[in-house]
Formats: sequence, C-alpha cells, structure tokens
Amino acid sequence: MSLRSFFKLWNEFFFREQSPIPIALFRIIYGALVIAMLALLQPDWLDWYGVHAWVGLPTALKLEPGSRVNLFSMIPQSDAWIEGLFWVTLGSATLLTVGLFTRVNSIIVFVCLTSIQQRNLYITHGGDTFLRLAGFFLIFGPAGAAFSVDRLIRIRRGNEFRTIHARSPWAQRMIQLQLSFLYLVTFLQKIKGAPWLQGTALFYVYHLDEFRRFALPAWFFHPTALKLGSWSALALEFSLGVLIWVKEFRYVLLALGLLFHLWLEYSLNIPLFQWDILSAYILFIDGDDLSDYLSSVRRGVFGLLPTFRSNSCA
Amino acid sequence: MRGQQSSDEQVGLLAEEDLCLCVQSHGTAKKRGSHARRLKGFAINLFIGFHLVAIACWCVPIDSPLIPLCKNLVRPYFLWAGLFQSWDMFAPVPKGANTYIEAILIYRDGSGKTWTYPRMEQMRLTEKLFKERYRKFADNLQCGELDELLADAARHIARSNSSPANPVKTVILTQKVSFIVPRSDGSYVPEPWQPHILLGYGVQPEDLR
Repeated sequence: MSLRSFFKLWNEFFFREQSPIPIALFRIIYGALVIAMLALLQPDWLDWYGVHAWVGLPTALKLEPGSRVNLFSMIPQSDAWIEGLFWVTLGSATLLTVGLFTRVNSIIVFVCLTSIQQRNLYITHGGDTFLRLAGFFLIFGPAGAAFSVDRLIRIRRGNEFRTIHARSPWAQRMIQLQLSFLYLVTFLQKIKGAPWLQGTALFYVYHLDEFRRFALPAWFFHPTALKLGSWSALALEFSLGVLIWVKEFRYVLLALGLLFHLWLEYSLNIPLFQWDILSAYILFIDGDDLSDYLSSVRRGVFGLLPTFRSNSCA
Repeated sequence: MRGQQSSDEQVGLLAEEDLCLCVQSHGTAKKRGSHARRLKGFAINLFIGFHLVAIACWCVPIDSPLIPLCKNLVRPYFLWAGLFQSWDMFAPVPKGANTYIEAILIYRDGSGKTWTYPRMEQMRLTEKLFKERYRKFADNLQCGELDELLADAARHIARSNSSPANPVKTVILTQKVSFIVPRSDGSYVPEPWQPHILLGYGVQPEDLR
C-alpha cells in the first residue's frame, strides 16, 4: 500500500461525511445509561462518595496519585456538596439525553462521570469504564445534529433545514474503535489463561455465587456445553474486535453479539454492564439503514393512527 | 450554513487539493480560511493518531519493550483525562473460589458480634441491581494489593456499628473462602468455607467522628 492510498483510506474512514443519526441515537442511549447508573447508585451515594464513605478521599488520592480530572478533590468536603455534584450530573445527563445544549452537557457529563469514577475506582466495572471512554469521544461528535432539542431550536429559528445533513464521523469512529479494542483485548487476555483454552473457564464463572442471577438449565453445566460456551465466547470476542470491520459480516456479528450479551444479562448479575456495551452497537449500523428503519416505523405508527380512528368512529 | 458545515468537515489527512497538487489562489480571505481549515485538520488527525496508538499501547497485552515505554509516556495524560482502561474480566483465569467478608466487632464493654458484609447471593433480584457495587468493592478488598482499603473499610464498619455509649474498639476483618473444584464427572459440590484473617484494626476515637 502506498502512502497516498493509506491517506486516502484514512480520509475515507474518518472524514467521509455520513448521517449523524447513529451518533445522535447513541447520545440518547448513552444519556439514559448514565441516568440509570446514577439512579441505581442513588441510595448509596454518600456510602461510596460521602465524607464518611467506605473509601476516604485521602485514601483514594493516595492509592491513585497524580493529577486527575476529579471534582471531588476541588469541592468542599461536605455531604451536601457531594450530593449536589450528583444532582448536577443527573441534570446534565438528562439535558444531554434530550439534546439541549448538547456539546456543553456532553462535556459536563464526561467531567462529572470521570470525577465519580476517579473518586472511587474500586466499585467500577468495565461498563462504567466504557461509558467514561465513549463519553470522552462523544464530546467531539455531532451528537446534537439529530433527534435533539438543539436541532428543533435551530429549525425554528431558520438556521437549519428539516433534512439532516451528513457530517464527519471521526468521533463516532473513535467510539467504534474503542469498542473493538475492548473485545480484542478481552480476547487476548483470555487466551493467556489455560481455563479458556481448555474450555473449562465457564465452569468457574457460573459457579461464582456472587454473579448468579436467574436459574440456568441443567444441560448448560454439562462439560461439553461449557467447553462450547467458553470457546464460542472467545471466537465471538475476536470477531467483534476484528471482523466487525468487514462490512459483509457486520450485521450478523452484531446480531450474535446482541444474543451473547442478552444471555450474559440473563445469567450474570452485573447491572448495566451489557447495556453499556450494547449501546455502542448502534454506531455500527449504517446511517441510511437506520434512517430507512426509522421512516418505516414512523410510517407504521402514523399508518395505524387513521385506521384506529376510522375503526373507532365506525 | 452549509458552507460552515463543509469547513468543519474538510479536515482529512490529505485534502483534495493536495492530492491533485493544483492549489490556486482565490484571494486572501479564502487563503486564510483554507489555512485555518488545514490547521484544524492537522490537529484532528494528530488527535486521532495519538489516541489510537496510545490506547493500543495502554491495553493490548503484547510483550514488547516499546509498550511499557509508550505507556509511561502517555500515563500522566491518560490518568488525568480518565482514558486509562483494562479489559480483563474473568481473564486470564476466572476467580476460582466463592468468597465473602465478615467482621468480628469487639465493643468497649467487652461484648462482641459478627457483622457480615453485604452478600449478593443473599439478596433479592431488585436489591442485587442496587447493591452490585458491594460485590466489586469486596473483590478489591480481597485482592491483597490494596491494604489501605481494608483499614478504611474497618473504620466504616466501626462507625456504622458504634453507639456513643458503647463504641467498637476492635474490628477483625475475615475472608471466608470456598474453592470451586470440579469433580471428575464435571459436577460441583460446594467445598467447606475456610476463614482467613484480612486485618485486625484497633479503632481510634477519631475514627468514629
């Protein structure tokens, strides 16, 4: 490959304009997930982050030294201020979800979310980490270019037409690449361990009491099923990390990934983790396909309404 | 409006005019605009390239002398911006034992009680949704690399179990372990719980304030 063709590919991949619908939908799901995370955490805000939390601020700063984006180390150390920070995060996440002052709120949500995680890194799971990383790149994307109050205001003021214009997708690509990294690194970490290669890993995973959620069928614990399960997980994680970039495989892999995460959601208790990861799948769906799908849903919904009305009148 | 959007977006690694090598002058204002666009494009491309390389070096588990070098270079920025990451759930080896934490509390009047840290397997489904953070924190308490966390946890337990008349004087944090051992036929029978002392902590009056 020549340097010139590499540049051309790079430009094509990161800068060829495309529909901003995927990243706008991702913004809505992302905002909703941040709200859900804060809501699930709400009864224990002060237990985990308050003045008398499980981990004190001095311990957190000692264990995780260095300069960091952490508003907790800047605000006065009182429970009222700490709760206030959570309410600000919640308010900003709500505004981000509806797409009002989208850019500003994407920055506020990222800074607050990062601060919350930096304050107590010992209770965060991979899903939280992914939200933090995706939030960073979301700041730079045209997240308010569709399905947002910002856009409605722009249209009302005559600053924008009803047609959604194509935009440069480089921020979206970074979130997609981050998801690919996640799967690929998980795969590479797992193949370093004998239980995954021997196919016995899931035996241990599914006998950990702390993760148990719903009852699983007896056949699932048969050694052959566990082996197939362990190896399938490896194959799928590799595919979602690498082969997802091959257009012909993409939708099949997304469907398999969806089933994989729904199975994990059913069988393991790691609240929101699967949804945090699945949220970024929408970025892999072609903007035109999404647009067509949304139009057909809209047609379906509006198509039903007159029928319903005429039936009820009759 | 459309023109403004285009200027935002024409920031590729090599602009079209570079490819055809036929840049022509269209007046000073256009030149200035084109210059700003190129500068913006350069900055975005640098941003993308840097982050891709840095993220790869940070988390891809490949043995190469370049990886730690690169990781050390980007560490201050990654820690500051919150871009650090690790993707090693159940990897390389899943946890091989069920565990839970208990605290033996000894009060000033000499009485004692056993306090059990929240256990996910004893919670109802909705409770599990809200209390999952306790599972993650328990894992970190027991990992053996974060001793400072144990002292903070002991202080928190002492605070929440003390009364002004009868404060907790000593907290003994104990880990209970039951190894997961597959039988020869692939079945599983829980092993007996074995206790391990994690920390003995003498509570100071200031810990209870």
